[in-house]
Amino acid sequence: MLTLEDGADGIVRIAGRLDAAQAPAAQAHLDRLAGVVTLDCKRLDYISSAGLGVLLKTQKRLLASAGKLRLIGVGPHIRDIFAYSGFDQVFEIEAAD
Amino acid sequence: MPPHSTPSPAATVERSGAHVATPAHAPQIRKPLSRDDLEAILAVTRALAAPFDLPTMLAEVTTAAMRVLHAERCSVWLHDAATDELVAEISSDIGRIRIPFGRGLVGACATSRALINVPDCYEDPRFDTATDRSSGFRTRCSLTLPLIDHRGELVGAMQVLNKDGGVFGADDEALAQALAAQCAVALSRVRMTEALLEGEKLKRELELAHAVQLGALPASMPVVPGYDMHATFLPAAQTGGDTYDLALVDQGLLVVLGDATGHGIAPALLVMQMHAMLRMALRMGADLEAAFRLVNDRLAETLADDRFVTAFIGLLDPATHRLRFLSGGQGPILHWRAASRTCDVHGPTSFPLGAMPIARLRPAVELEMAPGDVLALLSDGIYEYPGPGGALFGEARVTDILRACADQPASRLADRLLAAALAFAGGAPQDDDVTLVLLKREGAAAARRSFARSIDAIDEIVAFAEASTASLAPAQRESIHFVIEELFTNMVKYTPDGAPRMSIEIACLGDGADVTLIDTDVDKFDPTTEPDARVDLPIEQRTPGGLGLHVSRRLVESLTYAYDFARREGRTSFRIGRPAC
Repeated sequence: MLTLEDGADGIVRIAGRLDAAQAPAAQAHLDRLAGVVTLDCKRLDYISSAGLGVLLKTQKRLLASAGKLRLIGVGPHIRDIFAYSGFDQVFEIEAAD
Repeated sequence: MPPHSTPSPAATVERSGAHVATPAHAPQIRKPLSRDDLEAILAVTRALAAPFDLPTMLAEVTTAAMRVLHAERCSVWLHDAATDELVAEISSDIGRIRIPFGRGLVGACATSRALINVPDCYEDPRFDTATDRSSGFRTRCSLTLPLIDHRGELVGAMQVLNKDGGVFGADDEALAQALAAQCAVALSRVRMTEALLEGEKLKRELELAHAVQLGALPASMPVVPGYDMHATFLPAAQTGGDTYDLALVDQGLLVVLGDATGHGIAPALLVMQMHAMLRMALRMGADLEAAFRLVNDRLAETLADDRFVTAFIGLLDPATHRLRFLSGGQGPILHWRAASRTCDVHGPTSFPLGAMPIARLRPAVELEMAPGDVLALLSDGIYEYPGPGGALFGEARVTDILRACADQPASRLADRLLAAALAFAGGAPQDDDVTLVLLKREGAAAARRSFARSIDAIDEIVAFAEASTASLAPAQRESIHFVIEELFTNMVKYTPDGAPRMSIEIACLGDGADVTLIDTDVDKFDPTTEPDARVDLPIEQRTPGGLGLHVSRRLVESLTYAYDFARREGRTSFRIGRPAC
């Protein structure tokens, strides 16, 4: 299961599993956002390539309108996946403490 | 001197009127020996103490006897314990002759183990005139003595004929007995020396056979990811003909267990020949059936009619885990199935190799090695390991041990089997070669489940993967989920609607897991050959395509793909190992 929550502080909190099954819902949520978007991944348990696709598409869209997607609270395993896929060069990533 | 053969049974000395004396170790000499006699006996004694071969020794004895006893002829007969016959190894005018115990004067002497002195042979019913007739010799009188060695064993008989100018008297008997006692001991010594030399020869041959037999075995175990294999070979003292082979060839993993008939160097050379032919056939591209037939037919052409090799010949495809085998007279073949905890027992598919040409080959047996499964090939040296009261170790004891220990490493399992056989034998010596070949697919019994080919099945797959990998570290589980999902979504994307459900098999290892996704009724799609994604492009040019496999390859220890055209089945397997530090 996956949830996305727009916090009062402007930070979007994502929780659960961003897999192929959940990707469409995540895409729909992120498509509504604009500007500089901070995505808090502290409670993101899992991401698949479908999830990476969602993030990439969002980043491209935001960059085109002078916005961007920032990722914070990224856990070690997901950070590895970002590194393997070169996404550490596509996103501004802040690791979890 | 010719042997005397008479149909009469062992006659008593009283009836024949012959003089009889029991063999005495210290015969009484009734008159002083002449200087010549004494020297002749001493010469014999000296000669017999020197190293000699049997003909030389016998020539010494007969020459001395004729001289000392003033006889015209002398012959020495050896006791052949195997046939209970007396054999004249030396005779001045006749070649080698065999007579049964009890026949003729010599036979009677050997039976009674007593000296027989016959003053007029033609008057004695035991005397056989046939030899005289054939040789033209005329026997008048004879003195026949048993040759009894220091342990009291009858080793033969000595006979002298025709005393110069008279008959053999009591003094001659005493002299002859002194000579016979010497001769018996020397004869016994020669025989022991010969037995020793024969033993040495046999020992050298056995050493050579062992060396050849060991030389035919693989020097090391091949390394096949996902498999644990072990072979033990314990040659018997009187070497048997066991052999095995484990080798990676183009066709897969070759697994052989064989046993050639016979003992010694011949079976050792035979198994060598079989290995060479088999390897050659496989190298030339033969499949299992062609290789099996070739080895059989070549051996049938060249082997003696009573010789053959029992042999299991199997080929494992480590990617599909299918093992196909043909077995010429080798069985039982045990397949321990971890999932059901049962043992399938297969018999041979044909007669032993080399017994005759194959007219029609029975189809190969195919079995699937699931995680935790064990293929146990044991030579009859184990199944027929003798225990108390003539009972044999047997198949049931082997399957019991498989049931109890199949989850242990193959080497440990082999130790258990051997220890159990030894304990069963209760210290009895091993009288046949013992060979064990154990092929074990690693992993606990795999969890396997089928899923609909739909993205909606992902939750179900995640739950299954979670449940099947509970013992692993979180990072390993994440990786497993990732790779499964990537492979699965590819299957969903590229497979036409209506294809049957796919299956996932997960087997936890001690520090990782083997996962296989099985996709049936699909075209070939080999994810291992897909190119890496370009991850260094500027963001505008980046696409998510290919990322899944790109990342998957970096998470796994190995990723393999096998496609079975006949079944239209693709199997993608990956292993997640110990998490990187």
